[in-house]
This record gives sequence, C-alpha cells and structure tokens, in this order.
Amino acid sequence: MISIQNLHKRFGDVRAVDGVSFGAADGQVTGLLGPNGAGKTTTLRMLYTLMRPDQGQIVVDGIDAVADPQGARFALGVLPDQSGLYPRLTAREHIEYFGELQGVTGADLRSRTDHLLKMLDMTAIGDRRVAGFSHGERTKTALARAIVHNPKNVLLDEPTNGLDVMSTRAVREIIRRLKDEGHTVLFSSHVMQEVSALCDTIVVIARGRIVGSGSPDDLRRQTGQDNLEDAFVALSGLEPEGQPS
Amino acid sequence: MAANTSSPMTQAIVIVRKELRDWSRDRRSIITVLVSSMLAPGLIFFVFNSMASRQRLAEDVSIPVVGAANAPALVDWLRQQAGVIITEGPEDPEEAVRTRREEAVIVIPDNFSKNFAASKPAQVRLVADGSSQNSRPKVQRVRGLLQRYGSEIGSLRLIARGISPLVATAVQIEDVEVSSSQQRAAQILGFIPLFVMLAGFTGAMSISTDSTAGERERGSFEALLVNPAPRLAIAAGKWLAGTLTAMLTVAITAGLLFAMFKQLPLQDLGIRFRLGTPEMMRTLAIVLPLCPLIVAIQMYVATFAKSFKEAQSYLSFLMMAQMIPGMMLTMNTMSTKAWLYYVPWIGQQMLLTDVLGNKPVSTLVFVVVGVINVALAVAVLRGTSALLHREKIIFGR
Repeated sequence: MISIQNLHKRFGDVRAVDGVSFGAADGQVTGLLGPNGAGKTTTLRMLYTLMRPDQGQIVVDGIDAVADPQGARFALGVLPDQSGLYPRLTAREHIEYFGELQGVTGADLRSRTDHLLKMLDMTAIGDRRVAGFSHGERTKTALARAIVHNPKNVLLDEPTNGLDVMSTRAVREIIRRLKDEGHTVLFSSHVMQEVSALCDTIVVIARGRIVGSGSPDDLRRQTGQDNLEDAFVALSGLEPEGQPS
Repeated sequence: MAANTSSPMTQAIVIVRKELRDWSRDRRSIITVLVSSMLAPGLIFFVFNSMASRQRLAEDVSIPVVGAANAPALVDWLRQQAGVIITEGPEDPEEAVRTRREEAVIVIPDNFSKNFAASKPAQVRLVADGSSQNSRPKVQRVRGLLQRYGSEIGSLRLIARGISPLVATAVQIEDVEVSSSQQRAAQILGFIPLFVMLAGFTGAMSISTDSTAGERERGSFEALLVNPAPRLAIAAGKWLAGTLTAMLTVAITAGLLFAMFKQLPLQDLGIRFRLGTPEMMRTLAIVLPLCPLIVAIQMYVATFAKSFKEAQSYLSFLMMAQMIPGMMLTMNTMSTKAWLYYVPWIGQQMLLTDVLGNKPVSTLVFVVVGVINVALAVAVLRGTSALLHREKIIFGR
C-alpha cells in the first residue's frame, strides 16, 4: 500500500512535481498516466527513495519513506527509469545479484530465479550473457531482478516502453499475476491502451499536477468523453492552442 | 510478505563478488593487469642486460695498435695486463674509428723511441670518438692503462736518479665514496618503487571507473541504489573489489621483478644487490597498504565523471600528478625530510628506496605508514559514500 500526500519537487525554476497526492491499494494495479515530461518519473523517483521531495509525505506499508528510505526500500521492488544491465553477466546472475542484496539466499534464491525465468519465458537464455540480448529480453531481465525478493509493492517506470508484442504480453502477464497475488502495483506510462488494459485505477498527471483519477469509467464520466483517449487528452490539456480544454 | 534482511557486511561481500566476476570477464581489464605488471620487469631487464653486456665488453678489451714496432716495451706491458689483447692496427685509424669499425686505436708515432730514450714526453695518440656512448668504457680503460704505464716509467726514472717518486706527487686525491655499493645500486634501481606503485594504480583503474561512472553510463546505477543496501556498503564493496585487483597487480609485478633479479648478471656490473624473500616481503608490506588509498581516491574522482571515458581521462591526470613527487625523489631534487615518510605515495617511495638499498627501517615506521594510508582510505571512502546520496551524482544531471 502506497500513499502520497502533497508531493513537491523543483529543479531550479521548474516545478517538476507540484502538489501530487494519490494512493495505490493492495491487490490493485494503479497506472500513472501522463505525457512525456509530466512528472511521472520524478514522482516515482521520490517514491522509490532516490530523490528527496522538497515537501510532502510518502508512506509505504506504514513506513515513512522520506524519513526512513532504507526501511521503505525493503518493501519495494523497482524497475527504474534507467534499467541498465551488466553486459558481462548472465540473466541468471543479474537476478541472483539483486536477490542476494535483498537477503534471499541458497535454495530459495535458486528456485525463485528459476521460477522467474520460466514465467518470463527466458529459461533457454538464462545462462547467456546479456550483451547480446534484445531490448525485450533486457527489460524482462531487469523486471525479474526487481521482483526476485517478492516485494509487497512493485513500481514500474514505463515497463513496456519500446517492447515488441511478445515481450509486452509477458510484462502484462507478470503485472496481472502480481495483482492476483495481492501486491500493490504502480506503473507509469504515456500509452493510453497500456493503462486501460491493465489498471484498476488511473491517475492522470500533467505539468506536475494530478488532473484526474479513478477507474476508467470514472474518468470517462468526469470528462464527459466516451473514449478514454479523448478523456486523457481533455484531462492533460494537450489540445492545440485556441480550443477549449 | 518475505521479511528479507541482509546485513551491510553481507551486502558489501555480495558486491565484491559481483564486481570481481564482472572484472574477470573483461578482457581489457585482464590485459591491463598483465601489461602493467610486466612493463617494469621487462624494462629493467632490458636496461640491465644491455648495461651488463657493455661492461663485459670493456673488461675483455682488444686494442688495435698502429706502429707497435716503435714501442715494443709498451706493447709488451699492455699485453701482460689482464684481459688485454693487442691486435694489428687499421691502415687509417681515424677513418676506422669514425666509421665505428674500431672503438679506440692506439697510434705510436715514429719519434716515440727517440723521445722516450731522451726522457722527453713521448707521444702516444689515442684515436676515439667522443660522441659514441658505447665506446666510452673501453676508451676510459685504454686511457687508464696508458696513464698507468706512463707513471710507472716516470717513477722508475726518478728512482734511477735517486729521487723518491713521492716527490712528484704533490697532491694526492683520495676518492671517498659515501654511498655503499648497494645504495648505488638502489639509485640505479630507484625507479622500481615508482613502477610497483603505478602497477597498483593501473591495476585498479578498470573497477574504479567501471563500477562508478561506468555504472551510471550503462544506466544500472538507479536499479542498484534502490536495493536496501546502505550507500556505504555499496561503496565499500566496490572499493574492496578494486583494492583486491590493485593488490593482485602489485603482487604479480613484485613477483616478476624478484624472479627477474635472480636471472640478472648484476655482479658483472659490480652491484651487490640482493633481492631475497625478506626484501620482497618488505616491499609488499609497503605497497599493499597504499592500494586501498589509491583505489578510494580513484573511485571518488571517477564518481564525479559522467562517462567511463571521462573517468579514465580524470584518472590519467591523477596518475601523472602522482608521478611528480616520485620523479623528483628519483632525481634527488627533493630533500628527504623525516616527516615525508608519512606522506602517502612519497613515503612509500622513500621506504622502498631504503629497503632496496638495505638501509635499516624500523618496523614502527612501516606500521604507522600503513595505518595512515588505510585511515585516509576509509575517510575518502566515506566521502564517496556521501556522494552517492546526491541526486546530481545518482542521475548525472
């Protein structure tokens, strides 16, 4: 369970995040939807404790993530904005490295790694170095290492960005499975279809502010648009100049 | 769900293992270790071997003499000297020396015996090329022989006239050589410490850059830092891994050096230079505690760099900066004050010079120098760990 209250972050004169509040519940998939530069990544970075908010509160499973970032990290599994890999290590070694850092060891670590590789359809390439991996295989490796310790809360920053159809399916499958197992899943995207296909709750962010939130139906109702994409455009104020927003 | 915990110590060890595995699979870093550890032994082997062979040439000297018939007594005397072979001189001595067919030729003019018999200075021409470095020891040897013959004959003449030869020696120069021959050898070998310490520097460069700036360039830094490992544990793991590679390179370099010194014909150079197991142990005891500090500084600097390349160029500057005091010491332009022993890098070089020159060094100095270095390393490591909290460093803004 994640709760964010009145989050602020500015870089110089730019207010990247300007009073963001929302929550993400257990057993639900929450989508953070917004155009590029809306403040999605900055919000997530504060949530996964690598950035300090100028103001505001973040609570993860009852832990104040601003005051105790170390404690919050134990409850988080994160696929960050930048999910680079080590070219000379294999997929399995990546997953095991992060597992060991999280305190998963021995037979437990091996079985979880095998399970993840199987779930992501990577068993055949699990012992290959990632240097020759496709973008999809890299993302799946990064995702597997992010959730090897079975974290209660899973944060994914644009997980399906640039993936082909099969890899996108595999990622969606994982997200659904995490939801069914009772995890809190929060992911960001700028792709409408992605969010509408997976999310129980959508939080629309634009120019560092929350401009709408609720279920897909709620959003349609709020904006008076039948089409979710039109609703998104209306909320984020992306229409050309001179037209009513 | 899973209440996983992991102590910072365990996490640091996990990082050490990962960094070493990653490093050992990088062909470039392995080549760097091999090249940098073979550079010094190879260079020294080459220099000493050529010095030794030059020395041997001077000892067994063959002297071409033109006009030997003009001074049979002189030529006979030369022949009796150890290691001297008299050969027939070339037609044109000047040309032969100029074209380097001969290194030195003695020419005895026709008027030699006339002047000699009249007790006037009898001329002997020594044809040599002063610009030739290689022939210098031989020319000096020949000149020395001729001077000795001259003074022996002169003494005999004085005795024949009832005068003590000592009367002709108004001033006697006594050469007092302050440095022992081992110290002289240490001067020649003065650049060994520099090379051993540089081996530590280059050996650690791969991990220092790859695990900091490289990690950010690849975009893996964010994912790593999201793990519930304290920044100090992360920095310490990387630092330990780098230190191990630095120490490995130093150990290989030292091992090669000592193996090589067993092969070198040092006695041919008149150098009584011993590099046995105790000297090797002391050398390692001096350089190994420097490695943690070198790596800590490298990592601190590389953490500021935006890319792997940028980090490498920073470290190249750092390497040159580190070499300056060492060079000054080797060239004796810096006086060796006692407190300099406690300055990292300079102190190690001075200690190494002493150890290799067989000067006694107290164990306390070893320990104090080692402790200072490790303490500084930990301080710099804490600095790096503090950097990892900065958003500008994490995200490379």
